[in-house]
Amino acid sequence: MATVFSPYAWLVPAFPFVAFAVLTAFGRSLSRTGAWLATAGTFLSLVLSLVIAIERMTGAAEDYRGGYEWLRIGDFSLPFGFEVTNLAALMLVVVTLVAFLVNLYSLGYMKGDDRISVFFAYVSLFTFSMLGLVLADNLLLLYIFWELVGVCSFLLVGFWYQKPEAKAAAKKAFIVTRIGDIGLLIAILLLFWYMPDHALDFVSLHNVFDPQNGGTISLGITTLIALLIFLGAAGKSGQFPLHVWLPDAMEGPTPISALIHAATMVAAGVFLVVRTFDVFEASQAAMDTVAIIGAFTAIFAATIGLAQNDIKRVLAYSTVSQLGYMMLALGVGSVPGAMFHLFTHAFFKALLFLGAGSVIHAVHTQDIREMGGLGRRMKITAWTFGIGALSLSGIPPLAGFWSKDAILAAALADRPWLFVVGAIAAFFTALYMSRLFFLVFFGKPRGEHGAQAKESPGVMTFPLLVLAALAVVAGFANTPWNGWLGQWLTGNAEADHASALAIVVSVAVGLLGFYIGWLVYVKGAVRRDVLSSRLPGVVRLLERKYYIDELYAWLFVRPLRALGDALTAFDTHVVDGAVRLVGAAANGIGKLNTRLQNGQLQTYGLAGLLALVVLVVAIAGRRFW
Amino acid sequence: MNTLQWSDTWYLAPEITLAAFTIALAVLDLMLPNRTNRDLVGWLSLLGLAAAGVFVGWQMYDLHAGGAASAAHSLLGGSYRVDDFGNLLKLAFLAATFLIVLASLGTIRQAEMPIKGEFYYLVLPAVLGAMVMSSSGDLITLFVGLELLSITSYVLVAARKTSGLSSEAAFKYYVTGGTASAFILYGMSFLYGVTGSTSLSAIGQGIGPALADYRAMVYVAFFLMIGGFALKLALAPFHAWAPDVYQGAPTPVTSFLAVVAKGAAFAMLYRIFLNTAMYASDQINGSAVRDDLFLALAVLAAAAMVVGTTGALRQHHAKRLLALSGVANAGILLVPLSLDVSNLHASLFSEFFYYLVAYVFMNVGAFAVLSVIAREKGDEAVSAFAGLYHRAPWTAGGMTVLLCSLAGLPVTGGFFGKLFILFGTVQTRAYWLAALLLATTVVSYYVYFSFIRQMYMRSGDTDQGLRVPVPAGIVIWLSVAATLALGVLPKLFMGWIDDVFSILADFLF
Repeated sequence: MATVFSPYAWLVPAFPFVAFAVLTAFGRSLSRTGAWLATAGTFLSLVLSLVIAIERMTGAAEDYRGGYEWLRIGDFSLPFGFEVTNLAALMLVVVTLVAFLVNLYSLGYMKGDDRISVFFAYVSLFTFSMLGLVLADNLLLLYIFWELVGVCSFLLVGFWYQKPEAKAAAKKAFIVTRIGDIGLLIAILLLFWYMPDHALDFVSLHNVFDPQNGGTISLGITTLIALLIFLGAAGKSGQFPLHVWLPDAMEGPTPISALIHAATMVAAGVFLVVRTFDVFEASQAAMDTVAIIGAFTAIFAATIGLAQNDIKRVLAYSTVSQLGYMMLALGVGSVPGAMFHLFTHAFFKALLFLGAGSVIHAVHTQDIREMGGLGRRMKITAWTFGIGALSLSGIPPLAGFWSKDAILAAALADRPWLFVVGAIAAFFTALYMSRLFFLVFFGKPRGEHGAQAKESPGVMTFPLLVLAALAVVAGFANTPWNGWLGQWLTGNAEADHASALAIVVSVAVGLLGFYIGWLVYVKGAVRRDVLSSRLPGVVRLLERKYYIDELYAWLFVRPLRALGDALTAFDTHVVDGAVRLVGAAANGIGKLNTRLQNGQLQTYGLAGLLALVVLVVAIAGRRFW
Repeated sequence: MNTLQWSDTWYLAPEITLAAFTIALAVLDLMLPNRTNRDLVGWLSLLGLAAAGVFVGWQMYDLHAGGAASAAHSLLGGSYRVDDFGNLLKLAFLAATFLIVLASLGTIRQAEMPIKGEFYYLVLPAVLGAMVMSSSGDLITLFVGLELLSITSYVLVAARKTSGLSSEAAFKYYVTGGTASAFILYGMSFLYGVTGSTSLSAIGQGIGPALADYRAMVYVAFFLMIGGFALKLALAPFHAWAPDVYQGAPTPVTSFLAVVAKGAAFAMLYRIFLNTAMYASDQINGSAVRDDLFLALAVLAAAAMVVGTTGALRQHHAKRLLALSGVANAGILLVPLSLDVSNLHASLFSEFFYYLVAYVFMNVGAFAVLSVIAREKGDEAVSAFAGLYHRAPWTAGGMTVLLCSLAGLPVTGGFFGKLFILFGTVQTRAYWLAALLLATTVVSYYVYFSFIRQMYMRSGDTDQGLRVPVPAGIVIWLSVAATLALGVLPKLFMGWIDDVFSILADFLF
């Protein structure tokens, strides 16, 4: 069937870009109108994305590629193109939907901020970049957008730059992800070097790394490339050991945490691995690494989440952990599982963050020990947050259950021990979510603002309701008896991983985790300090996040700073001296020029004649003696 | 077939059009009463330029009709050639002159330039001279074209009759131009003496055999011509006249000198060097003589880049600054021709022409902005740009694009122009030229950002909006649009040049 709307897919990122341009140009004079304009731009993108996705679902539309050649150097050409596949269509819908809802929510949340138009300009730029990343048809273009979303993340984390923590967090986010970005860049350079015709588009990648015509690129190089790509993905998606920036990034405005650090940008790493999955599949070592790092991150971050007291940090570690699940799914070869979890996670995690934002908006603190009893005062927030929490904990029939089950089933089929790790992580997930939910919404108000807390305005609760609805139903896109989403994404029926054992275990650990949370934090049947009194060391270890930040400070930051000091000294004395010398030389030649420029024509003529004589003697003269 | 045939007039149609318009407009200007606004002559002059442009385009189309590869039509015993090289340059010259005349409509004041009518019709023979220079296959026709361009330019520079600066500039330009012509003509006479012909193709054939006996004479011939061209192109250290002349001349004329006169001198240099110096090799000397000649060009290009850029560092007068920027740009434009020709670096003309076109637009645009500002302030210092952003944000934005192009920042025509030339130097392993090109580009950022600093970060003495005359506004925006278009779609234009132009058909005949 011919495709009607896919050729216009480039318009999807274009709308937010126009909004960004207008806001940047006229932002100050527009203020609130500008914010509505940005929201409208994203809404147009959402409508177009939905149309494209529906078209691709109803008919068997071919993949569409468009664009033009930007520059040709020798036999290398730099294309500027986009590609609409089912995967891209799904991502377009996820990104535009969450972006639209977050825009709407921010209209309420950011109301009264002086720089509201700057905020919306950045959000529009981010939406544009993220959509560009999704649509890019080659790695180089993807890399450009990859860096752009990083810049936007930096700008938005540090949006409240008056706060020193926000500034530090923005810097940390930027620097840590850069480590991963360098890996990705080297991977792209290696691919450029080894690929036939220096092709970097995904279609060629698919063909070259297809096992049927394998051997074009040796296994060693393939593994290296795959690991470097994964390094980039780990940086963006907060995988161990590059996860440290993501919790700190919570210093940014909460809608940003929902959009960038939960639903979209951090999922870009997973998306990148999916996009280059052929490279990974060609190397078992790379697949193992992805699976193990993913599983480790999942359980590691979940345990930290148990001991955090900042509502957003709990959610941040939860995001890290869930991204670990997605990587685990990829590592055991299940692209549909990873994409399915990405899809549902985007909704329920955005929901949780926006709900947290609503709570913070009401009580002006992020410390869950100062909350409590908010359930009665903020009904919509409490209900929707509860749905999100249950979905994340994997309680059937909510969305999170189905997608997590798909991953666990795939792990069980591939490597049972990874299934065990995943199941334990799922137990912790349910436990920390129940702790969070019950501490915030149940019991008596503990903080000073808790007693007067009011429900947030309609622009903020409406997105919550939409996302809550999605967190309930999104899971039915792909159930053990109906693999529709996976089939649509990959084009062929996924090997049936469905297993009764996986379902039973994942339901059991979810319910058990939630039940224990209820026992501890509502019923009081178990004392809260039952652990901290007996194993203070463990709790402390978790509270301090396994001392990873301290370890990095000692291992990297201090030596690097010393090196930096040494280099600064070199810079001020040697390099600056050289620069000053060059500057002085340039100025000196300039002065000589002024000397020549004395207005006397005779001088000009003489200078020319002398120059000609010198030229003749120096160049032709050497031939004559 | 040495005489002019009736059928040849078709091939000369652009030139004849310009000549006819010149005569008609001269008569019209004489007959019009004094109180009539001379802008009428200006509009008619535009019509003549456009008509000539259409004829050139038509001939290009004819040359390639039927999908034929490059072909050339030669007339008057090979002394005049209608080929793609000539046609492309003619189009560039006509377009540049068209924009310059258009921008001057409404920006020149009668009081400042009492002979406005003469300015409008004298531009036509000047550009006719440039066209003859780009289309000649013979030393004599080349020289006639050169003199036609030069003499009309002398008059144009003096057009601000009441200004002492203008007279001084005209005098300096006249003496320098005369010296340059003398050098060139003297060099040409040696070339004739050695080979016995003035036809470029005959000289090309005779120069190799002549080397055995007259090696010194060949050197003298070419170095004299190089000296003359260095003066004409204002290559360092032959450039000292340029700032004085550019400052004194009326701004449209300055723009014409910087763009058309310079481009025409390049056309002549290309004609002569690629048809004669190319073949200066024989069994005894090998290619030593030829290599020396091209090396001399490379040295001059390097000197021009360095001196022009560093000289501009200390300049506070906008026109003098642009004059020195023109020196540096002449150096950059000379780079492709000066590269090692032993393993023929075939894209040299495309590289040159791409940057020339980018240079035309950025200069014409920048001079148009300058003339609009100078018209109001009566001041041509860089500081006259102060606060432009607050007075006319769009014009300031357009100027920023043009400055970025001059500085060679993406995504502008100037960036890709420099990039292509840089590729050429790397391809032929002229790394020292590549390094100098990069270094001077970096220094030039400082030069051009002095404008940007004034426009955005200094406040002017007035906040009143700047009135931009409509024709000048059109020119500014056309230049900005073209500069951006060259930057966004470099491949389109480069591909077109490569399609049209073939070095084998147009040179080496």
